[in-house]
Amino acid sequence: MASLKRSFDSDPLAANISSKVYVRSTKSGKVQKIVREVYLRQDIPCSSKLCKTCLATAPKTASGTPIPPVLSNAPAGTKNFPQGHYIVPDTNAFLTAMDLFEQDSAFYDVIVLQIVLEELRNRSLPLYNRLVSLTKSEDKRFYVFFNEFRLETHIPRLEGETVNDRNDRAVRKAVAWYGEHLARTKVKTIPAVVMLSNDRDNLRKAKAEGIHACSLAEYVKQLKGGERLLDMIPETEDGDVIKEKKPGQLLYPEYFTMSKMMTGVKSGLLHQGTFNVSPYNYLEGSIRVPAFPKALLVLGRENINRAVDGDLVVVEVLPKEQWKEPSTQVIEEETIAKNENPDADEGEDVISEKERKALQEEVKRTQSKTTEGHAQPTARVVGVIKRNWRQYVGHIDQSSVSQSGQQGRKQDSVFVIPMDKKIPKIRLRTRQVAELVGKRILVTIDAWDRGSRHPTGHFIRSLGELETKAAETEALLLEYDVQYRPFPKTVLDCLPKEGHDWKVPASTDDPGWRDRQDLRDLLICSIDPIGCQDIDDALHSRPLPNGNIEAGVHIADVSHFVRPNNAMDTEASIRGTTVYLVDKRIDMLPMLLGTDLCSLKPYVERYAFSVLWELTPDADIVNMRFTKSVIKSREAFSYEQAQLKVDDASQQDDLTKSIRTLMALSRKLKQKRMDAGALSLSSPEVKVQMESETSDPIDVKTKQHLDTMSLVEEFMLLANVSVARKIYEAFPQTALLRRHGAPPKTNFDELANQLRVKKGLELNVESSRALADSLDKCVDEKEPFFNTLIRIMATRCMMAAEYFCSGTQAYPEFRHYGLASEIYTHFTSPIRRYADLVAHRQLAAAIEYEAVHPSVRSRGRLEAVCKNINVRHRNAQLAGRASIAYYVGQALRGKATEEDGFVMKIFSNGFVVLVPRFGIESLIRLRDLAEPEPVASFDAETYTLRTSGSREVAVELFQKVRVRVTDQKDETTGKRGVKMEFIRAY
Amino acid sequence: MPLDTSAYSLALLRVDGRRWNELRRIHAQIRTQAAADGSSYLEMGHTKVMCVVTGPSEPGPKRGGMTGGVGGGGGERSSTADVSVSVVIAGFSSVDRKRRGRGDKRTLELQSTISSALAASLHTHLHPNSTIAISLHVLSQDGSLLAALINAATLACIDAGIPMTDYVVACTAGSTSTYAANDEGADPLLDMNHQEEQELPSLTVATLGSSDRVAVLVCESRVQVSRLEGMLAVGVDGCKQVREILDRVVREKGRRMIQEGTIEKGMSLDDMDID
Ligand SMILES: [Zn+2]
Repeated sequence: MASLKRSFDSDPLAANISSKVYVRSTKSGKVQKIVREVYLRQDIPCSSKLCKTCLATAPKTASGTPIPPVLSNAPAGTKNFPQGHYIVPDTNAFLTAMDLFEQDSAFYDVIVLQIVLEELRNRSLPLYNRLVSLTKSEDKRFYVFFNEFRLETHIPRLEGETVNDRNDRAVRKAVAWYGEHLARTKVKTIPAVVMLSNDRDNLRKAKAEGIHACSLAEYVKQLKGGERLLDMIPETEDGDVIKEKKPGQLLYPEYFTMSKMMTGVKSGLLHQGTFNVSPYNYLEGSIRVPAFPKALLVLGRENINRAVDGDLVVVEVLPKEQWKEPSTQVIEEETIAKNENPDADEGEDVISEKERKALQEEVKRTQSKTTEGHAQPTARVVGVIKRNWRQYVGHIDQSSVSQSGQQGRKQDSVFVIPMDKKIPKIRLRTRQVAELVGKRILVTIDAWDRGSRHPTGHFIRSLGELETKAAETEALLLEYDVQYRPFPKTVLDCLPKEGHDWKVPASTDDPGWRDRQDLRDLLICSIDPIGCQDIDDALHSRPLPNGNIEAGVHIADVSHFVRPNNAMDTEASIRGTTVYLVDKRIDMLPMLLGTDLCSLKPYVERYAFSVLWELTPDADIVNMRFTKSVIKSREAFSYEQAQLKVDDASQQDDLTKSIRTLMALSRKLKQKRMDAGALSLSSPEVKVQMESETSDPIDVKTKQHLDTMSLVEEFMLLANVSVARKIYEAFPQTALLRRHGAPPKTNFDELANQLRVKKGLELNVESSRALADSLDKCVDEKEPFFNTLIRIMATRCMMAAEYFCSGTQAYPEFRHYGLASEIYTHFTSPIRRYADLVAHRQLAAAIEYEAVHPSVRSRGRLEAVCKNINVRHRNAQLAGRASIAYYVGQALRGKATEEDGFVMKIFSNGFVVLVPRFGIESLIRLRDLAEPEPVASFDAETYTLRTSGSREVAVELFQKVRVRVTDQKDETTGKRGVKMEFIRAY
Repeated sequence: MPLDTSAYSLALLRVDGRRWNELRRIHAQIRTQAAADGSSYLEMGHTKVMCVVTGPSEPGPKRGGMTGGVGGGGGERSSTADVSVSVVIAGFSSVDRKRRGRGDKRTLELQSTISSALAASLHTHLHPNSTIAISLHVLSQDGSLLAALINAATLACIDAGIPMTDYVVACTAGSTSTYAANDEGADPLLDMNHQEEQELPSLTVATLGSSDRVAVLVCESRVQVSRLEGMLAVGVDGCKQVREILDRVVREKGRRMIQEGTIEKGMSLDDMDID
C-alpha cells in the first residue's frame, strides 16, 4: 500500500505553507484543537509611498482596483529620528494607550501588525474596533501589515517558547524586515522604523538586535508638546510606579478563577449578573440574577470588591445572618471619603473609620427590628466576568491636590470625581495638576488591583473650564455616549447632488413618482412645538360622501433618501436617534435632509409616506391603507397657533374645520385608549426660557398642556399601531416593533405600602386598567399636585419600553403596557429615530412598493439594531434631562426663591424634596437643618422623621413643605448644584 | 484566535493568507490501495478524503451502507450500472468530534449528490446489471467537503478504469461579504475553508472537465442574486484549475507505472489517454 503521508518535498508550494495550531475552550468547557493553514507569500506590500517595488505588486480586488499605498513618503520626525519615522506598536501599546493613537497632534504613519491586531482582538473587542476604525481613517495613515502571511516575516514558534515571546519576536522580526526593505528603496532619507513597547524585555532584546525601539513614555517625550500626552500613558505601565505590596496589605479579597466561577454558576451556587450601584448610596449595590425574583443586595466596599457600576460580575450569596434591609441612609462618597489622601493607600483598612460607623448604625437598626422577614438576601462579588469601563467625565477633587503638585511639573496623584455618582473616585497620576484643577476632564479607568482602595486611571483630555456652557454640554454628550462629531465626508456624499435645490420632480413620469399617489390637493398641515424645523409629520381630514371621515397622517419619506447600508444609513443606525438638548440638537441625519428635503415644510411639495383611514364619526376604523405619496402642506402651525385657530369660532375656513374634525376624533380615540386601560403617566416637565441673544437661561416654566398636543399624539399613536399590525402581518419573524413590559408587581410594593400607610389609599396593580383606575383615585382634596406626584413616583416603578424584533418574543409579550395596545411600533418620526426608518422600509416592502432589502429582514442584524437603539434612546432621554437640569441650575444662579415642594423619599438621615415648578429634586440632610446636626428618630413603619435638639422638625412622606431654593457651589468638589433649605412643613 | 473574514477588506487577504482567486494546496494520489479496483487520496487544504471503488461488478449479496443508487433499480435487471455511494465521516475529522450515524441526513444528501454527479459522466450503459460501489472516507474536514469528495471519487473511478466522458471536477466559491451586510463591492472567493464557509455565503459547483457544463450546483446559504453570477464564474474557473491538477496526477502516475513495469511494455502512454 502506498504511503498516505503528506509528501511536502515533492510539492513546489509546500515551502510556502505553514500551519498554526490553536487551542480553544468552548462555552461548555470542552477544549478544542484547531489547525489552520497559512499560505505564505511575497506580494504583501510594505505600503510606503517611497517603495516602487511594492507598488508594482499591489494587491487588486476582483474588479481590478489596486489598493493604494498608505504610509507617507515624508513622515514626521522626532527629536531622535529627525529623518522621519514609521511607528510599529506592539499589542500592549494599543491595550494601554489607545487614546494616544487617536490624538490629532501625533501618531501618524503607524504600521499595525497582523499579530498585534489578532492579539488585541482576543484581549478587547472594543479596542480592536477602535483600531480598525483608525485604519480606515484616511488622514491617520494606519496600515495593517499582514506579517504572518509574508514569507520573510513569518516565524514558527520555537520549542519551549511561550506564545507571548513568539509574538514579541514576530513584532521585532517585522520591524527589522521593514528596515531592510526600506533601505533597499535607495531613496535619500529613509525613515526609521520604530517599535513602541512597554515590555522591558522586548525593548532590551530589540536594542540587542539593533532595531529602533522606545517605550511609550520615551517616545512621547521626543514629540513636540509631548509632555501633555504623558498623562495618557497609564501609570501602572510606568515601571517605577508599580509598588510592591506586601500580602498583608491587600485591601480586597482575591477574585475566583474563571473556571471556578463558571462551575459555580453552572451548579447554581454562584450567580452572574450586571452590577448596579444605588443612586443614593455608593456603598450599596444590587444585582439581578435569573435565579431570584428580587435583586440581591451587595453592601459595603469589601463585598462590592472592586466592581464598578455596569460590570458583569459573579456573586455568592452571604449566610442568612448577614442578610439586611436596603439602607435607609443616604451615603455619598463625597462627604464620607472626603479627606482621603490619594497617595496614602497602604496600610489603611479598606473600610475607613467613618464608613465603619455608618455601617454599625445600619446593623443596629436592622437588629432592633423584631420582624425578621424584612431582611433581604445579600451577596458578595467573587469575580468580574467583563468590565464595562468606559471613559468618564469628571473633575479633580481640589482637596486631594497637594501643594507641590500645584506648582511643579512633578507627577502627582489626585482624585477625580466622576460626574456619574455611581462611579467611584478615580486615582489619577498627572503632571499637569495646576492646569487641570477647575476643568471638566475626560478620564478612563485602567485597573483596580487588590492593594488599591480606589481604581487607578489616566487622563485623556480636558473639555474646558467647569461650568462653561461648552464644557458642560460636551461633558453631557460624552457621558451619555452621544455621537456629536460632524458627519464625515462619506456620509455627506450620500446626499442628493442638488442640495437645497432638490425638488419633487415636476413630471409625474419621473421614476421618483413611481407608485406614488398625488395628494397635493389635500388640505394638509403640520402641528409641532414652536420653532420645530425637522417636521416629521402632517395631518389632514375631509368629510366623505357617506358621512364618514377620511383622516390621513403623512410622514416624511426619509427612506427615499437614506438607502439601506450606505454610509449615511450606517451612521444613522449608530446614532440611533436625534438628541435634543436645551440649546442644541445633535442630528441623526445631516441637516440637509432633516430640516429641508425630508422635512414636511409648508408651501412646498414633499415626498411622504401616508397612512389613510376611513373613520366613522365615532372614530371607528372602517378601512385603512398605506401609500407613498407627494403632498403639499398648507401651513406649519405651532401647538399654540393651532389651538387659537380651533378655539376662534369666527374661523370657518376648510383647513380650520378639518383640524376641528381631527380634534373631535382624537378625543374619541383617547377615550377608547383610556377605556382599554392606557396609563396617563407623568414626569416633571419644565421648559427653559432663554434670552434670545445671549442664549442665557432667564426663566423656567412648567410645560403647558394643550388639546392640540393630544390631537397630534392620538393620530400618531393610531398610525403607529396601524403600521405595526401591517408589518407584523408581512414579516412575522422580523418586524421591528416596540413593547412595554408589564412591571413586576414587586416594583410597586413600596409605593403601595406608602400609600396605604400614609393616605389609606389602595394601589391595584393587577392590570394596567386597574392601575390606571387606582391612580385616578389617588387624589388629595387639598392638594391638586398630589395626584401628579404619585404618577411621577409610579412612572419610576415602570419598566422601560424597548424595541425588539418580532421573532424574538411570543405574541402576548408584544403588548405595550402603558398604551394598552396589543402591538406597537415607531413609524412617525423617521427624521429623528432610526427605528422609524426601519419601519418605513418594512412597510414599503409590505405594500410591495419596493423589494425587501436583506438588512431589514435579517433577524440577527435587526436584533443588533434594536439593542443599539434601545441604549441610544435611553441615553438621549437622560442627556436631555441632564441638559435641562444644568440650565435650570444656571437660571437659578444668584437667585434665591421660596417654593413649595413635596417629600418624595425619606431616609433616616435626610429626605428628598421635589419642587414641581423647576422639576428638580434635591436631598436635604439632617446636617443641613441646623448646626450642630440635630438628633433624629426615624420611624420606617410610618415614614416619619423627627428631629430634636438643635432644631425640632417633623417630616413625613408626601408632605408639602416650603423650601428655599438657591444655587450653590461646593468649594471642595467644585460642583454647582441646586441647594434646598428647609423652611417649614405645611 | 486569528482574525475573522471581515478583515479581508484591510489588505485583500483571506484568513489563511490567500487572495480571492487562489485555490488551496491540492495534493492527490491514485492507486493508493493496490488491492482495490480503484482508489485515491485527496487533500484540499486540510480537507482530507479517501476513496475506494469496487466494480463494475455483478450485484452480489446486498452490501450494507450502500445507498444513493442512481440508474438501475435494486434487484431488478437494468440496462445501466448502478452507482452506489457511501460516505463515512470519521468522528475525528472535525473539531467538535461529533460522530455522525449512518442515517445522518447530511451524509445521505452528500451521497446522492455525488452519485448523480458521477452518473452524468460515467458510461454506465456499458455495464448493464452491475454495480459500481464508491466508498468515501472523510479523514479531516476544513471546508469544501462535497467538492473534495467529488474530486476523489473521479480519481478513483479513473483508477478503476471505468469509461467516462471526462473528469467531474468540483470546487467551492463564496463572497467576501455576508448576506446581511450586502456590500456591493464584495469580491468573489475561490475554494472556501471551514471558517469562511461558517461566516460567508458559499456554493459548490462541479463541471464536466474543462467545459462550462455544470454537473452540480449546490448553494445552501443566503446570498443576493446579483453576487451569484460572479461567484459562479469564479467557481467554474476554479474547476478548470482543479482539472489541470488532477490530470497531472493521473498522467504522472501513468508514467511511473510504465517505468516500473506495472503496465505491459507494448502499451503506450497515449493508449491510456482518456481525453
Ligand atoms: Zn515595499
